[in-house]
Amino acid sequence: MNEEQVYEKVVKVISPFCKNADALASVSRETDILQDLQVNSARLVDIMLEFEDEFDIEVEDEAADNIRTVGDAVSLIVEKTA
Amino acid sequence: MSRRDKAVLEIQRLVSYFLLAVFGPIIHGIYRFRFGYSAHDLRAVRSRYAQIRREHPGPILLCTNHLTLIDSIVQGVILNSLPRYLIHVSALPWNLPERKNFDKSLAWRLTCYLGRCIPVTRGASKEESRRVQEKMRYVLNRGDIISIFPEGTRSRSGRVDAQEFSYGSGQLLSMVPEATVLCVYLRGTREGGFAHFPAYGERFYVDLEVIKPTSDNSGMRRSRDYSRQIVHQLQSMEERFFASELATGQ
Repeated sequence: MNEEQVYEKVVKVISPFCKNADALASVSRETDILQDLQVNSARLVDIMLEFEDEFDIEVEDEAADNIRTVGDAVSLIVEKTA
Repeated sequence: MSRRDKAVLEIQRLVSYFLLAVFGPIIHGIYRFRFGYSAHDLRAVRSRYAQIRREHPGPILLCTNHLTLIDSIVQGVILNSLPRYLIHVSALPWNLPERKNFDKSLAWRLTCYLGRCIPVTRGASKEESRRVQEKMRYVLNRGDIISIFPEGTRSRSGRVDAQEFSYGSGQLLSMVPEATVLCVYLRGTREGGFAHFPAYGERFYVDLEVIKPTSDNSGMRRSRDYSRQIVHQLQSMEERFFASELATGQ
């Protein structure tokens, strides 16, 4: 899976948790998941667990804590699936 | 956990216990006479709570629905009589308020200290979060009670929020699996619902239920499973309330 495919899947996973539809429409790698997309912080855990299922990876707590933007998530997943 | 943190918690535990003899009557007096609060079947609720504590002498997670800023205080006044708090040093639950909610006022800081609060900060650093979790684990492991709001925040809809809840209660239970989970449904019968403070003269309904959450998963999935079961239990207790005649008018 290339980086672009990972990016598309990441956005698809995050989408149901977004409360800011406008920010979702103009999402980019720099988009902050909590601030811009207004994802409830409690739902970040669900997103990480969905990443694990979707990409068949394990996201450690420390790695999860470092994810702020969509690009952070993509980079982590690309690294784990390489 | 560091020896200093343990010592600080132990001192707070004892200070809150001894000063309860002074502040306890004041809080009970404010509850009863300043705000005119009361509770349905108070004697039966206290008796049931005492029975649960006798049957489950170890650590307890009090998991309560969250509607007003003073739910912890109201719950505390209802569940135990003042003499019972003064007899059992472990009877007063620890609370987990968000630091920013009380940090600006000395009076609130003092109230939180004496009310056995362990402040939490949303979005805290990993190190700070771990330190706070260690404190929670410590007080539970010594057989104390922690009061937590499984929804994570006050429900703006006035109903138990089974969609946007946090997994904090499940995380705590994962850390101390031997803890008894006691679900508490608390609601005013006159106005009830979401508010900063319950209305003057409010009469509270309290329902208690012990549950044993289960999960075949590990890590965060287990915490999520536990939290879901706790919140769904609160939801079914809420349905029971609304099916009762006490809910008339809400």
